[in-house]
Amino acid sequence: MEIRTETHGAKQGTPAPTPATDSIVLTLVGSGGDGVALLGDLLLRMAAKQGLYGMMVQSYGPQIRGGESAAIVRLAREEIQYEGDATDLLLCFRLSDLARFRGAVRLHDRALTVLESADSGDLPDWLGSSEREPFRFPFAAFENGQEVPGEPKNMLALGLLCRALGWSRDLAAEGLEQRFGNRPALLAKDLAAFYRGYATEGMPALPPLGGHGRPLLVESGNEAVARGAIDAGIRFFAGYPITPSSEIMETLIEELPPRGGRVVQAEDEIASLGMVVGASFGGVPAMTATSGPGLSLMTEMMGLSSMAEIPSVIVDCQRAGPATGMPSRTEQSDLFHAIYGGHGDFPRVVLGVFDVVHARDLMHRAVHVAEAFQLPVLVLSDAYIAQRRQIRDQLTPQEQAPKRRTWTEMDGPARFSLTAHHGVSPFRVPGTPGGTYLAAGIEHTQDGNPSADGTVHQDMNEKRFRKLAAIAVETRQWFRTLGREDAPRGLIAWGSQFGILREWVRLHPEYRVFLPEVLHPFPVAALEAWRRGLEWTAVVELSFQGQLRRLLAGLTDMSQVRGAARSGGLPMSLHELAHLLEEAKA
Amino acid sequence: MKPKDYRTELEPVWCARCGDFGVLKGLTQALSDLEVPPEKLGVISGIGCSSRLPGYLRAYSFNSIHGRALPIASGLKLSRPELTVVVVGGDGDGFSIGLGHIPHAIRRNVDLTYLVLDNGIYGLTKGQASPTTSVELKQSLGLAGGEERPLNPVFLVLSSGCGFVARAHAGNLPQLREVVREAIRYPGFAFVQILAACATYQPQTYADDLYGRCDPLPAEHDPTDFARACELAVADRFPLGVIYRRPPDQAPAMAGALRWGEAGIWPAPGAGDTTVQPQD
Repeated sequence: MEIRTETHGAKQGTPAPTPATDSIVLTLVGSGGDGVALLGDLLLRMAAKQGLYGMMVQSYGPQIRGGESAAIVRLAREEIQYEGDATDLLLCFRLSDLARFRGAVRLHDRALTVLESADSGDLPDWLGSSEREPFRFPFAAFENGQEVPGEPKNMLALGLLCRALGWSRDLAAEGLEQRFGNRPALLAKDLAAFYRGYATEGMPALPPLGGHGRPLLVESGNEAVARGAIDAGIRFFAGYPITPSSEIMETLIEELPPRGGRVVQAEDEIASLGMVVGASFGGVPAMTATSGPGLSLMTEMMGLSSMAEIPSVIVDCQRAGPATGMPSRTEQSDLFHAIYGGHGDFPRVVLGVFDVVHARDLMHRAVHVAEAFQLPVLVLSDAYIAQRRQIRDQLTPQEQAPKRRTWTEMDGPARFSLTAHHGVSPFRVPGTPGGTYLAAGIEHTQDGNPSADGTVHQDMNEKRFRKLAAIAVETRQWFRTLGREDAPRGLIAWGSQFGILREWVRLHPEYRVFLPEVLHPFPVAALEAWRRGLEWTAVVELSFQGQLRRLLAGLTDMSQVRGAARSGGLPMSLHELAHLLEEAKA
Repeated sequence: MKPKDYRTELEPVWCARCGDFGVLKGLTQALSDLEVPPEKLGVISGIGCSSRLPGYLRAYSFNSIHGRALPIASGLKLSRPELTVVVVGGDGDGFSIGLGHIPHAIRRNVDLTYLVLDNGIYGLTKGQASPTTSVELKQSLGLAGGEERPLNPVFLVLSSGCGFVARAHAGNLPQLREVVREAIRYPGFAFVQILAACATYQPQTYADDLYGRCDPLPAEHDPTDFARACELAVADRFPLGVIYRRPPDQAPAMAGALRWGEAGIWPAPGAGDTTVQPQD
């Protein structure tokens, strides 16, 4: 996931608010080849091993390989979904690499900086100032003034940081052996550099932050979606590579076949959802994953899934902008498309993911709703969740058999029976003798025969939308609230805003927050109940148009509700949210 | 089962003398020859006159959306490998809007039988030019694309690596029946171009002219000879029969990987009614 590389509205260089939880933020900046991503990942895994929580986000330059690279790792004593506003430690292998991350990195006044000895330049003003002197270390090797390959910088840094964090040498050595045990020469070189870094005198210590000692799990949002889907019973996946969703397919290629499923890389997103619809027509729970451009291509097929009453699960890892936009950046602007996209009237369900932990749970619900009600279910994640790595509690996979209502009798009701309870008519799985029928995207009678009769169309629409009404009842509690129930100010938000808002309400107890897990059909009654007694309310979202706020305007009275929205690109920070809310009040 | 037992009660919407009637008949004959149980048969189509065909067959049929029959059929076959899956469509559905899926279905070598009922015109939308409409017809009727050359479906699929390529004519039922039967039996992606007349939007003489250009393949034709198949594909005359048949062991079909029912994830058909009722 991208880290912030600019600030919105907030003055640069001003001290950031105190973190809401005991935590340490480490910012690691280098060039491609310096291995800062590996360094961050190793630190995160070591933290998880000793029972610390945390998360990591990454940023790269526009190059496919090489270029500037940064990783922000935040470690904490409890679960977090936000990487923090100001850094406690900045490690930078080359000062010139810092420029690209202007605004992304801010020092607080006691922050530590670890710099290359050969870098004599000053830290840029926009970084904010720390009262502590930088610690300088010769990471690079030089010959005749030119940098030459030397010891692995990231391993030297790992040694320095483990020492600063007060972590044992053995913990890191174990981690490296696990990672590189099959490449002994590399391991020996890495360990030597690590030990030299660890033995360095004078490296200042960071405040102690101890974990609870029980190992935790590191997972990305995309991995969580893939694994949640498998546990929920998905056994067929077809997809097309697209940033930032590709790791869902990559994870499934590894992990679905051993569980009896199949993965196909399709020729495009139309074919992806087409194959999903075909597999599901065959009775096998199926899904695809994509991003906005892919969802656009899938839209006609989504209507078919609803019209022919064939379950499908579609994960959309939202990215910024229309057309190509900013593929690696996050946004919450596919909401309209997910809810309204497509021609004709058809029911579909839209769910929103909060974080890595929530992703698994939500995939179970998505598969359940799709299978039980025979319609498309869209799960909206975003780049910020998809590509972050988050430390979470261990889990015991809850394997579930999805429950599709199936037809097994020779004289059962019609495939699209109009009198079916809640509109859910029994599905007929190919292979069942006597159950042959015509599934169709063309309007059809309850027996599946094509029809151009307006009355049939009206009756079938009523039947199909009765399912949505039943889903609205079943999902009426699918939301989460944060903060005190009697707090006078309210924020309505969805998806990945969850992480920052959890910390916001701790710092600002005058706020309470409403976050829907199901965006369509929206739990309006719950929202109405929650907002009672509020003096002031705003909708916080990463969408230029304020899509959630506009959606709600069609469902409830929003005349007094303000918008605290902006385009995506970078996730919001706490100091930026403060600024946006001030603007919304004015 | 007799051929007529594969038919549903639905009466086709096709015009009188439409070539698609012959294809429906030949297909039911082939299915009867092969004794395919209807519940093990999936028939998938897109949109168009010929895409109405699945509705007239007793099968797990799917009349889907324009141009997308191949991905849907691929998903079905790959997840339910024990089914026989036939894809039916027209020249517009397959060679225009859906063309992008053809080489990929061929590359994957999914065990599908793809029957393209090629009448060289858009019938359902009333007479526009398709990718196989001749330049002469387009120019004589003033259709769009008069300067655009038609594409050669047989050469196209051969060049994409299709393992089974055949041509039939809707007016020659015995040959059609045999070719479709062989296509279904072929373990891999099988393509059959079926020349069919459009009684409404092609000239009266079209069917006869077309048939006049057809020759049965000579008895000595070796269907494993790829170079000869390519020569026949670009010839002026239309040879009928199995033009190319790669021995299946040279490129095995993409196998189904699902352990159907074994994982206990989903009951096999007939394993009991899994009813779920929405909570009130």
